[in-house]
Amino acid sequence: MLSALNLISQNLNAYLVLSGILFSIGAFGFLARRNAISMLMSIELMLNAVNLAFIAFGAFLYSSNARHAAEASVIALIVMAAAAAEATVGLAIVIAIYRNRKTPLVDEYDAMRQ
Amino acid sequence: MPYDTLIPLIPLLPILGFAFTSLFGRRLQLRYGRWASELVPVGVVIAAWVVAMIVVVPALQHQAPFGDSGLDVKAWTWIPAGGLQVDMGFHVDALTACLLIVVTTIGMLVHVYSIGYMAHDRATWRFFAYLNLFMVSMLVLVLANNWLLVFAGWELVGLSSYSLIGFWYERRSAALAAKKAFIVNRVGDVGFALGIMAIFLNTGTLNIQDSLAKLVSQGASNTIPLTVVALLVFCGAMGKSAQFPLHVWLPDAMEGPTPVSALIHAATMVNAGVYLVARANPLFASAQDAMIVVAAIGIFTAFMAASIAFTQTDIKRVLAFSTLSQLGYMFAALGVGAFSAAIFHLMSHGFFKGLLFLDSGSVIHAVHDEQDMNRMGGLWRKIPITHGTMLIATIAISGIPPLAGFFSKDEILGEAFKNGFAWVWAIGVLVAIMTAFYMWRLMGKTFYGESHVDPSVAPKVHESAWQMTLPLVLLAIPSVFLGMAVGLPLGNGLLVQWLAPVFKGAEEILARPAAAETLLGLPTDTVLITISVVAAVAGLVVGIGLFGPRRVRQETIDRISSANGVMRFAYRLSLNKWWFDELNDLLFIRIGGRVAAFLWWFDRTIVDGTVNGVGTVVRDAGTGLRQIQTGRVQNYALGIAIGLILMAGSLLLIVGQPR
Repeated sequence: MLSALNLISQNLNAYLVLSGILFSIGAFGFLARRNAISMLMSIELMLNAVNLAFIAFGAFLYSSNARHAAEASVIALIVMAAAAAEATVGLAIVIAIYRNRKTPLVDEYDAMRQ
Repeated sequence: MPYDTLIPLIPLLPILGFAFTSLFGRRLQLRYGRWASELVPVGVVIAAWVVAMIVVVPALQHQAPFGDSGLDVKAWTWIPAGGLQVDMGFHVDALTACLLIVVTTIGMLVHVYSIGYMAHDRATWRFFAYLNLFMVSMLVLVLANNWLLVFAGWELVGLSSYSLIGFWYERRSAALAAKKAFIVNRVGDVGFALGIMAIFLNTGTLNIQDSLAKLVSQGASNTIPLTVVALLVFCGAMGKSAQFPLHVWLPDAMEGPTPVSALIHAATMVNAGVYLVARANPLFASAQDAMIVVAAIGIFTAFMAASIAFTQTDIKRVLAFSTLSQLGYMFAALGVGAFSAAIFHLMSHGFFKGLLFLDSGSVIHAVHDEQDMNRMGGLWRKIPITHGTMLIATIAISGIPPLAGFFSKDEILGEAFKNGFAWVWAIGVLVAIMTAFYMWRLMGKTFYGESHVDPSVAPKVHESAWQMTLPLVLLAIPSVFLGMAVGLPLGNGLLVQWLAPVFKGAEEILARPAAAETLLGLPTDTVLITISVVAAVAGLVVGIGLFGPRRVRQETIDRISSANGVMRFAYRLSLNKWWFDELNDLLFIRIGGRVAAFLWWFDRTIVDGTVNGVGTVVRDAGTGLRQIQTGRVQNYALGIAIGLILMAGSLLLIVGQPR
């Protein structure tokens, strides 16, 4: 039990760096990938990076106060639920557009131009 | 007698005639001929005359239910708007009755006359529809018991006058004259409308009797001073009765058919202004300054118009200027506080001037639509009835006793003198001389001397049909006897007694002291009457000396008209109508046109420029900015990301500074 805990870094900055890296990968993917499915996946990545930051803050900054630590976890759970809902709607939209335009590539979706 | 139904019937009859004739007149005329389309409009006016006479007789004698203050009849509530209640209501007192006599009698005779006069016209049904419309408007105007209804009638007579002046609308001059009449009248009407608003503001009611009583009792505590209110109302009267400086439309209105000139532009509509001032007599009596303005404008118009009539050659224009001059007399009478004298002259003038116009129409008809008096002459043997009746009317208007004009004109002059307006009296006597002279000039040039009629027309000159001569004879009767019937004894005749209750309010306010009984050792009245008669006779004698019937002193006339110096200026002044048309042209067409052109430029460049400028800037900005709308989701997302980075970065820079 203790050894397992020891494998986990005791340094908050490590988590925040990881969170930042994950968010940047997600943001880059959202901006750079042309495939709509990949963009949805990138959004999930960004959301989870934020979740990680929440949990880390909860564990490190409010460890003395159980109630505040629990609140951080609850926010993370809410984000997951929102992410699941968003993914559902997003996928439905993508499929609908795909059926319409016969392509998953978002730079083909330029009907709103001018 | 059920007067409650009879009184609304008077205007209702011509309304029905107007509606019927304008809807079915054309079809009737095409299918059955002229008489079918004329039957209804002439019939309803005769019926209206009968009804009016039934109402007039007891109203003049102040019998029940009219009494001294007159009878109010409410047909229905016209405008029920909260505190403002305006009735479709009529008020008949002695003043209304006098106007009813003139309007319905002359209206009826002119309708009959028109059957003959318009016999060669294409669209008589249209003419009669308009005439009926005019009768409605005029009757509403004189019968109304509230200012708003008066104003409605006021505008309606303007409209029907416009339609009738421009009846021969194919003629450019007629169309222009109609427009001129309408626009000049508008100028006066604005004043009248403002006057009504001022009355309403002061009193909170539009009923004529109530508002006048309130205006007088409030006196100086009125919101808007009474002088202003009176002048605004007079402004409307000036437009409709063609007083200086709004007189310019009346001579041009002679472009209309002659029966129209007789009915509208001599006997009825132009009297509306006189009626209005007389109706508002307590208001004017409480505003003495306004009265002096009325007297001054009236007597000046009388003089100016008489001087212009000296040199005009169009027979109808001479009569038009004569009408202006006589209307000036009436306003002078109103201005000096001689209200009954003004109404007396209104009535007698209505009859003899209507007769003069119908006579001139008969002359024009006889010489085949020639109106220039230089192309007439020597007609008296060929058209004896016309000549005879016109002679009667001329003597009547000149003021020779015992014809109608003498009584009314003498009463005006006498009252002016006795009320202390010696200057009005002096100019009035001068105008009386001028009137007699120019009227005889008209007679001489038309009926006496050598014939200047077109040789091709001369053999065909003939007396008009009975529909035309009958009204002439019928109108000659009141021209002769009206004065004797209602003007005797002088200064306290029947008419004065009839109208006394109407003008009692004004008389009490004015409270004129009794005039001196004697003048130069003789009774004042005798002296004044002698001067009036001598003036009229002098004018006639000069006229007869110059223009016949014995012999025409053409060389004397030529010498006068080609004289130099002051005479030449006076001659040109008269011939060019005091250059009023030129003055208006300069003021309103040229200078006004420049101003309007500038305003148009301002509107186009500055006002429109600003609005269009805003539009152009927004549109160009849009054209530039829409380039960044690529329609690609990722471009937008990149924008959001950059924005977030910038905001977060700046937050870090500000907040995250090492302390």
